[in-house]
Amino acid sequence: MRGPGEGSSVSDRTGTPACVDLGALEVLVERAVAAGADDAEVFGQRSVSRRIKVYGGEVEQLTQASRSGLGVRVRRDGAIGYAYTSDMSDDSLDDVVARALAHAAATDADEDAMLADAPDEYAGVELYDPRLEDLSVEEKIGLAVTAERAALDHDPRVKLVEDTIYADGDAEIALVSSRGVRGTYRESDCYVFLYVLAEEDDAVETGIAYSVGRDPAALDAEGCGEKAAARACRLLGARPCPSFRGTAVLEPYVAASVLTVLGAALTADAVQKGRSLFAPLEGRKVASSLVTLVDDGIHPEGLASAPFDGEGTPCGRTPLITDGILQGFLYDVRTGHRAGRPSTGNGHRGSYQSTPSVQPSNLVLAGSSTAADEVVAAVEKGVLVTDAVGVHSGANPVSGEFSVGISGLLIEGGRLTRPLREVTLAGDLLSMLRGIVALGDDAEWVPSGSVLVPTVAIEDMSVAGS
Amino acid sequence: MNVVDTLDLELLHETVRRALERGGDFAEVFVEERDTLSMRKEDGRIDQVAGGREAGFGVRLCVGDRTYYAHSDEIDEESLGRAATTVAAALERGDAGVAQRLTTLRTDRGRHPVVVPPETVAIERKRALLDAGDDAARSAGERIAQVTVAYGEGRRQVLVVNSLGDAVRDDRTRVRLIAHVVARRDDVIQTGYDSIGGSTGFELLDEETAGTVAAAAADKALAMLSARPAPAGVMPVVLANGFGGVLFHEACGHGLEADTIVKGASIYAGKMGESVAAPIVDAYDDGGLANGWGSAAFDDEGVPTQRTKVIDGGRLCGYLYDRLHAGRLGARPSGNGRRQSFRHIPLPRMTTTYIGPGDSTPDEIIGATERGFFARSLAGGQVEPASGAFVFGVAEGYLIENGRVTTPLRGATLIGSGIEILNRIDMVASDMEIRTGMCGKDGQSVPVGTGQPTLRIAEMTIGGTA
Repeated sequence: MRGPGEGSSVSDRTGTPACVDLGALEVLVERAVAAGADDAEVFGQRSVSRRIKVYGGEVEQLTQASRSGLGVRVRRDGAIGYAYTSDMSDDSLDDVVARALAHAAATDADEDAMLADAPDEYAGVELYDPRLEDLSVEEKIGLAVTAERAALDHDPRVKLVEDTIYADGDAEIALVSSRGVRGTYRESDCYVFLYVLAEEDDAVETGIAYSVGRDPAALDAEGCGEKAAARACRLLGARPCPSFRGTAVLEPYVAASVLTVLGAALTADAVQKGRSLFAPLEGRKVASSLVTLVDDGIHPEGLASAPFDGEGTPCGRTPLITDGILQGFLYDVRTGHRAGRPSTGNGHRGSYQSTPSVQPSNLVLAGSSTAADEVVAAVEKGVLVTDAVGVHSGANPVSGEFSVGISGLLIEGGRLTRPLREVTLAGDLLSMLRGIVALGDDAEWVPSGSVLVPTVAIEDMSVAGS
Repeated sequence: MNVVDTLDLELLHETVRRALERGGDFAEVFVEERDTLSMRKEDGRIDQVAGGREAGFGVRLCVGDRTYYAHSDEIDEESLGRAATTVAAALERGDAGVAQRLTTLRTDRGRHPVVVPPETVAIERKRALLDAGDDAARSAGERIAQVTVAYGEGRRQVLVVNSLGDAVRDDRTRVRLIAHVVARRDDVIQTGYDSIGGSTGFELLDEETAGTVAAAAADKALAMLSARPAPAGVMPVVLANGFGGVLFHEACGHGLEADTIVKGASIYAGKMGESVAAPIVDAYDDGGLANGWGSAAFDDEGVPTQRTKVIDGGRLCGYLYDRLHAGRLGARPSGNGRRQSFRHIPLPRMTTTYIGPGDSTPDEIIGATERGFFARSLAGGQVEPASGAFVFGVAEGYLIENGRVTTPLRGATLIGSGIEILNRIDMVASDMEIRTGMCGKDGQSVPVGTGQPTLRIAEMTIGGTA
């Protein structure tokens, strides 16, 4: 991690691709200014990612994706223009600058369209583990095969592992601007994922599990396989139940998908476009006092962590909800300028081909010191929700209302009594946040959306059965 | 500068051989250079102008029904070699697969002529299109609340070299203009949409055309402002030419794509030669349609595009194949192997799919309908692929009374299944028209044409809100 104005040992390595070489990007920024830009910014990216899917001990799909290129944003006469290229030849770099300027000239001025100012400093976070490079493709295949084997061996009722996936990525990002932004970082991540089918008496139940880390040594492939298998098997014998009102205890994987819906509603983009129910609620109580939610862009374990965002604003910790009170929203430079607030470092860049947009980084919901099984033990009548289908499509982000199909286990007198099927859970986001009565100590990283979340118990939920 | 033309075909063929080093049935290198520009005018302001150039390649290895794929946006000897080694590593060591000797490079320039390459046209003229569209829509009256006009152009140059010895080069240029209009009267809000596009040059578009497209979108939105809630029930449905073809694409076309046939996930599997529609119905997929939005000279596997008759006099007579699934089904590839970019594997996809013209006129069809529903354009829908069961929203719909189109109706949905509605088609007009769209499947989006003449379905369920 390098601070602004500092030299970078990463870019000094021999063989650094030009698209992430700070010196090369600086030259390009100077070219853009010389060609007439009032301000210019260059975002460079080099990444390699792999995805390996095994089935029956053999590789069913293998994809390796290498990406390298840069995007140029220029501001001229109050308008921003954008252009990108994957070609680092001199002619191509001249061309990308010319295009960005032409695009700015064809765009109408917008007083909120700004480039980020130079920061004081960037936080130091270790995001890269070189051990990722040490493992051969064959060894990575081996990890997935081990996970699949562990799931199949765990219980004879595991009939099929539909998906066993090993995936990893290694990315370098560099950003330079005429406003003094200058930074680079490298990050690695990997995970194992399983989707297991267990069968008994012609009924099929499913279970998923993840193991996440910055290098394969941090992954527990065998444990992940066993966990997915156990999660499927415990649902076998599921029967419908009558409708009731009670406490819904969401396991971390389920709570994570609710949090990603919440996170999207807490971006300034959603607020300013009238697509967030939280727009008028800043400073108000929106959740139970137990709820403290932070967008933590520099969490050492968070897969979305970075020293700076796609515009060069330092990433940091942005309190979203503290003790139940809504503290504010997530901003990039443009939405921040419109609202008269600083950017929170949430100007996300999907790749060098795309312009920044506001997105959460790592959403972290603070847990408690209560064990997850004690959370269940405190529930008189309820359901332990182990899977939910359609949280994203089933939730209305404007009203916060949702209805989702769930799998889970019935809780009676503080004990898990039997698995359930054909059950739906309905409610709205605000009532759910306000109804949170307990949190577990079992916080877990869920990579889709990058969320760290424990078991969450919500009282007075409507469980619709037969 | 064309990266594609500077590449050594022998080097690509060597890459194919290296991919087959440990075995495999088929290997291929797909090289692509793409150059795009997109512009948008919204709320009276040109707020987005972006574009760029990227060049890259993908190496594919097929073994049985398994596919291994590596892609990169650096095209050099080292990257090609690394990609080939990566896909080969998915296999246990074995005898090398067979690569045929390379044949002469094939091209088919001029099949979809481009008179004015859009990249040679000044950006001011493209801005003028957006302004003309915006003006035309806004001049439709004070009830026009919001206008979005977008222009897109793209050039894709592709090169395919495979283990069958094929070497194929294709050069594709596309342009498109779309208009989206929101009209409001008190609390009622309605939207209208229209578009024009093709595999052609800038000669397709001028300010008058842009105005016509945007005015048509505005008219739709305005017409629906005075709409009454649609009644529910079963009645004859007249589907207008052009946009009505979306129904055939979604409810029937996807079931003709060979991957759904192989998976047994299509109601058309095993029905070749059988009656699947009324005898009056002929249907086609035509990847060679001159200057069509969904057209190309070759597909993304280097197979020449063609017109495939899929339904002949009501009988099923063709599926849509890529190489892999044609091989599985013992058929010849039909030029339907398409991919979004070099970052994706090819899949069997529709190109321009349409129901062929009949003998009636639209007036005769409306005139022969005592009481019915006239669907002029459709909104999105949901289709259950295995059965072809669908629910489609109607964007613009009217009541037919005593052989005349009368009251506009809102909130109508069309409910049915593919084979059921094809069998109930009892009148087909001669006013064939093709519309442009983007089709998503397995995370890949490709341009498609959909179309049909005006036609009548004798009986169909309308879901209404009245």
